[in-house]
Amino acid sequence: MISVTNVQKQYRDGDTTVHALRGVSLSIEQGEFISIAGPSGSGKTTLLNLIGCIDTATAGEISIDGRAVAGCGKRELAAIRREKLGFVFQSFNLIPVLTAFENVAFSLTLTGTPDAEARERTMRILDEVGLAGMEDRRPSQLSGGQQQRVAVARALVKEPTVVLADEPTANLDSRTGHAILELMVEMNRRHNTTFVFSTHDQMVMDYARRLTMLHDGEIVSDERRSA
Amino acid sequence: MKFLVRLATKNLWRYGRRTLITAAAIALGLATYVLLDSMLVGADEESVRNLIWYETGSARVMHPDYWAERERAPLRHVIEDPDSVLDALRSQDVAATPRTTFSGELIVWRDPFPEDGSLLVHVTAIDPETDGRVYRFDQWITEGRPLQAGEPGVVLGSWLAEDLGAEVGYPLIISARSRYGARVTIDAEVVGILNSPNPVINRGGIFLPLDIADLYLDMEGAVTQIDLRFADYARVEGPIAELKQLPALRDLEIADWRLLGADYIAMMEADSVGSGIILFLVFVIAAVGVSNTMLMTIFERTREIGMMRALGMDDRAIRNLFLIEAAGIGLIGAAAGILLGALGNIPMVRVGIDYSAMFRTMDAGYRSTGVLYGAWVPSTFVIAALMGVALAVIVALVPTRRALRMDIPRALSRQ
Repeated sequence: MISVTNVQKQYRDGDTTVHALRGVSLSIEQGEFISIAGPSGSGKTTLLNLIGCIDTATAGEISIDGRAVAGCGKRELAAIRREKLGFVFQSFNLIPVLTAFENVAFSLTLTGTPDAEARERTMRILDEVGLAGMEDRRPSQLSGGQQQRVAVARALVKEPTVVLADEPTANLDSRTGHAILELMVEMNRRHNTTFVFSTHDQMVMDYARRLTMLHDGEIVSDERRSA
Repeated sequence: MKFLVRLATKNLWRYGRRTLITAAAIALGLATYVLLDSMLVGADEESVRNLIWYETGSARVMHPDYWAERERAPLRHVIEDPDSVLDALRSQDVAATPRTTFSGELIVWRDPFPEDGSLLVHVTAIDPETDGRVYRFDQWITEGRPLQAGEPGVVLGSWLAEDLGAEVGYPLIISARSRYGARVTIDAEVVGILNSPNPVINRGGIFLPLDIADLYLDMEGAVTQIDLRFADYARVEGPIAELKQLPALRDLEIADWRLLGADYIAMMEADSVGSGIILFLVFVIAAVGVSNTMLMTIFERTREIGMMRALGMDDRAIRNLFLIEAAGIGLIGAAAGILLGALGNIPMVRVGIDYSAMFRTMDAGYRSTGVLYGAWVPSTFVIAALMGVALAVIVALVPTRRALRMDIPRALSRQ
């Protein structure tokens, strides 16, 4: 479903060239719950960005659902992100002026889903993430955990191929973090949605059923665990 | 698009303070534009009116060769039979009056004047009976009385009188050449002081009865010009073309007020370029003020832009979102600016601004001596509204494009 083949990423930092990824290969199947972990600077966020089509590789090949992303134009990449990928960010990144309902429905607005269907799907996913009754609250009226639930709902509502979560618990206390991870596990189980995390948080790693460790831009271990 | 408009409206409310500050900058710029334009248009309208009412009339009939030598006010090129021309004009219901303009030397001497002196002048001989059909001097005689036919009286422009130290009853001499070149001296007396709304008249106007000029200058009934008044001075080409068909006028030249006042028209056009530059500067200042806040607004939302792009929103849609917001700010600013401008324009139109002290000492070129009134110019309001919106959109374009050029990961990492 997601295939990463010999991907390299270099960028300039002043006069030096930083090798963020040095020939990473990885295959992720439908329904996996995978953590890409490693210390700071190991390249985990870079890899997540490349899979998420918000950055481009210097070399190598990435394909999503059999579609190679190299060579895609800006609009095609935007379409892939819109239709196949869901994002959960460390700092939630909700649109402040929109309510919880509107933030979630935003994803469906972008895909051109008819209003009635968008409404029905949004209400259902908000119910699933435990935010029934809070649809009309703005992000500023929600706790951090609730905001992250909205972000998870926003990622899931369009039924993407994969949800990419960059340090999703970093801005949450451990209890709320646990709750969010439990929610993601539940969504993964219920919808068979693939979840890919980048993290250096042991708690997130503990939840993962597959743990891929990166170090200095290379995969140093790729371990599958039983549920 | 509906969603973008809704989102943009919500953002305008959310960043209410910044919206108001930016809109206020636009409003101030537009209000200044409306008021400046009102004043300039008002000054131009009044100047044209005063040019026609006191200097040129709507048009002038003259000998075809007169115009080329008008600076010397020659008496060689005259209308030999003004009566037939006046009869023809009367048959067409055109208000007309004969005049003779000639150059000469105005001589005054100490006692009763403050000192001896002489001055090269252009004297206008008018027909007291008919001049009022074309010009409007009588109501502006502030001292003494209007001219009367048959008396060697002189009416002086008020500023000229002031400069000379002249008062009603003072004697003076006008020395000139007759039509045939003989030196003639006209002994005259100041019978009136004219304080008109036209500074050119006040600064240099010297008026004499036409029959006196005719007598002294050996004109034998000839005049240098016949001045006309049309009902609508904005449309003079048609009536002039018709008059040119009259047999009595066929060999004569008819010049409209635009040609007669060419110096002023040229100045007005040059002024309008200058005014355009001033108005442009007003917009540049407003644009600088607006662009700063717009720049801040957009850069502070770089992460939001990155998030929307990550979720798959088209760059074009994001750009449109920010441009709609900018247009909204422009619209609020334009509405406030127009309201402010309109409110400020009410006293400008009704009361005006008194520039009399300035116009007395400085020849600004305007044919106005004192109070300049504003004017209601509907097109200015429309232009102001469009400019307000366009200004906001244009200054939002650059920072939006720059924010959209940023890599998404970099945009997302912005605090």
